[in-house]
Amino acid sequence: MSTVDIIMPSKRYKQKATIFMVSAIVILIACIYLNFNPIMIFTEFHYVRDLLGEMFMPNYQILYENTSTGISILQTLSMAFLGTLYGGLIAFVLAFLAATNTMPYKAVRIITQVFVSMLRVIPALVVVLVFVIAVGPGSFSGVLTLVIVTIGSFAKLFTEIIENVESGPGEAIFSVGASRLQMIRYSIIPQIMPSFIANLLYAFDVNMRAAIGLGIFGGGGIGFQLQMAKSVLHYKDVTALITIIIILVILVEKLSDYLRKRILGEGKLG
Amino acid sequence: MIEVKGLTKTLPNGRKLLNGIDFTVKKGEFVGILGPSGAGKTLTLRCLNGLLKPDEGSVLVEDEHGEKHDICQSSKKQLRHVRERIGVIFQGYHLVKRLSVLENVMIGRLGQISTIRSLVYGFTDKEAEEALLALEKVKMAHLAQNRTGSLSGGEMQRVAIARAIFQSPTLLLADEPISNLDPSNAKVIMKLIRPLSENIPVVGVFHQPEMTAKYCTRVIAIKDGQVVYDGDPKLSNKTLEDIYGEELAQMEQYEHAIPTPEIVRI
Amino acid sequence: MTGQATYSFKRYRKFVLPLILLIAVTEGAAIVCGATFDKLETGIVKGLSFLQFMFPPDWAAFKDMLEPAFQSITIAALGTIFGTILSVVFAVLAASNISHSWVRNTARFLIGLERSVPEIVILLLLIAAFGLGSMPGIVSLTLGCIGMLGKLLADIIEEIDPVMIESMESLGANKLQIIWFGVMPQIIPNLVSYALFRFEINIRLSVILGAIGAGGIGYELDYSFSMLQYHRAFTAMIVVMVMIFGTERLSYMLRKKFKVEGALQ
Ligand SMILES: Nc1ncnc2c1ncn2[C@@H]1O[C@H](COP(=O)(O)OP(=O)(O)OP(=O)(O)O)[C@@H](O)[C@H]1O
Ligand SMILES: [Mg+2]
Repeated sequence: MSTVDIIMPSKRYKQKATIFMVSAIVILIACIYLNFNPIMIFTEFHYVRDLLGEMFMPNYQILYENTSTGISILQTLSMAFLGTLYGGLIAFVLAFLAATNTMPYKAVRIITQVFVSMLRVIPALVVVLVFVIAVGPGSFSGVLTLVIVTIGSFAKLFTEIIENVESGPGEAIFSVGASRLQMIRYSIIPQIMPSFIANLLYAFDVNMRAAIGLGIFGGGGIGFQLQMAKSVLHYKDVTALITIIIILVILVEKLSDYLRKRILGEGKLG
Repeated sequence: MIEVKGLTKTLPNGRKLLNGIDFTVKKGEFVGILGPSGAGKTLTLRCLNGLLKPDEGSVLVEDEHGEKHDICQSSKKQLRHVRERIGVIFQGYHLVKRLSVLENVMIGRLGQISTIRSLVYGFTDKEAEEALLALEKVKMAHLAQNRTGSLSGGEMQRVAIARAIFQSPTLLLADEPISNLDPSNAKVIMKLIRPLSENIPVVGVFHQPEMTAKYCTRVIAIKDGQVVYDGDPKLSNKTLEDIYGEELAQMEQYEHAIPTPEIVRI
Repeated sequence: MTGQATYSFKRYRKFVLPLILLIAVTEGAAIVCGATFDKLETGIVKGLSFLQFMFPPDWAAFKDMLEPAFQSITIAALGTIFGTILSVVFAVLAASNISHSWVRNTARFLIGLERSVPEIVILLLLIAAFGLGSMPGIVSLTLGCIGMLGKLLADIIEEIDPVMIESMESLGANKLQIIWFGVMPQIIPNLVSYALFRFEINIRLSVILGAIGAGGIGYELDYSFSMLQYHRAFTAMIVVMVMIFGTERLSYMLRKKFKVEGALQ
């Protein structure tokens, strides 16, 4: 009928239907394998109702009955702050050691890159368990874990940022006889500083959430309080702590977003 | 046939964007709407297929059974029904860039097929062949399987026309279909639109009086939301000046100073 | 000479106050967390020697790790799949160019809520309600996915050319058809890339959630630690590292492939 060959919709449909069927069956098998029955959430909803019944009304007395809640909030914030600051600084230094335009020795670059990759793939769970054994449970082990996690996730990003700076200014500075360190100080650092700080703010946001989770494994802070309240079945305290966590997370996110926008300038949010 | 009566649209601050637009277009007519920028051409066209509700006035459109519908008074469902058969070619490109050219053409029938079928099965082989024929009419069949985002402006505009043809419309509206095309592509597009007007009314907005003079059967000029001219497509210099202001007359003189290809050929 | 000295001091003066503030906050945070350099030293020394102590891995336990690892991967994959599908639904509801403002605001609120409750908290609640098992793990990963992808995708949908949507309206297509034929094709590349990104996160999370009671390799890891079977824990750690590394590579490759497909032919 027509001179041009096209894939007919009926054939397309058969392909798509096959793919759909196969994926649906695979997902179904996976669900059966894991004993996961999504419908159960609705048929067994009375469990949720019972739990909600126990959770209400939230017991906000924990805020002023004793100081432990207030301190745990401060601890979580401090963990996130210190983890971000030190992790970020170390990642910053490592990034210079791993970037082609700042580190002329290939051996150093490769060693740094391998080290960073190791940190990337090492599970946070192991890190926190090891540090809990090494320095005892408490927020300090949480801080150390966050430092490691921050280095792992940001050193590579910073390396890429450094490698992507414009080489023009650097070459100009080299050409007037400056040393490599002077080139880094006057050409590269000014160029990467805004995105470095913006990423640190983002890291603070991420680490804040992570700090809550680490608490459960002995990292201290509000996560630990939550775990305690749950394990002694004080569900009204749990509700109060969860609302506090939500507010904390939202505040940190908004603050981090606001500062990032100010640093990067409107419309350039990276 | 489409009958437009007394369209008005007023901004909350009192500014009248449309001020009593009246015209009727019968089948067999290719009406070109001219007018300076901001005159209300796009607004008028948007009223014609119900994308914009005028404050007052009516737009009567005949559907494929010859029934007349007032677009301004239609419910959402009726409006969808009337729109099935109104082909629209927009100012700028409006195709789905990540779908293939053929799929973009077939989208033209979405209103005419059942929702369930369109979502679950998609289109039929017969529809694909018809869409291919529509593409052949605009000489785009060889690119049918390409991704639309990779086409040039002129090619996209041709696909848009193929989509309108595939709709088998009872009315065709086009907003500046040739604005961002080079002169030869613009001619190709005009030559494609022109024959469509044999069976249905065609209304197009243009910024090129020489093009409407050549291809349209009638010209309507809109200025400040009012129809200021309605009649023969060949406009006198005086009328052009009335529509576009005195700047144009000076430009004309300038244009005459450098011989355009047309003049050389004569 | 003095002129130059004051000049350079002036240049740095605006940094003095923020720097003092930063040091004060750092000091305060260190006191709150009980962080001292002594402790740091013990931490590093003891941590490293402990890692040494965990060595060598218990290779005999390796085959016990395979099934839990597979379970963790399956949990992460299901969480990503369900989460991605639902986040598309939420994103469409949350996009101002598709939905009514009240639907949009409700959807945005729900997405924001999901974003601000960490997955671990959701998991604890689900375990409290339904008991241990894979279900709480999958559901919390799904919800976490909605919180993240829902927002990103909604923003992408809102950037879709409004003229394109209007043009589909103008040929009589209804909302569902516009979403299916106009919106979905346009967001597919972003959808794939975000889903892969989220899958990497979910692999890491599934290990942590497993330790709390969602099963899988995380449970194995935590259990070995608490049973003081450190060589076995080391084996589990290696398996997790392979998992994380593998997904990172896989996602990188798939993303690259998809990008190439979308580009000029
Ligand atoms: N949504 C709106 N709100 C307020 N004013 C509008 C709106 N849309 C259009 N207008 C105004 O209505 C007038 C007519 O607009 P319209 O788009 O119809 O112009 P046009 O004749 O198509 O011009 P052009 O040739 O530049 O496309 C313009 O002055 C424009 O500023
Ligand atoms: Mg216009």
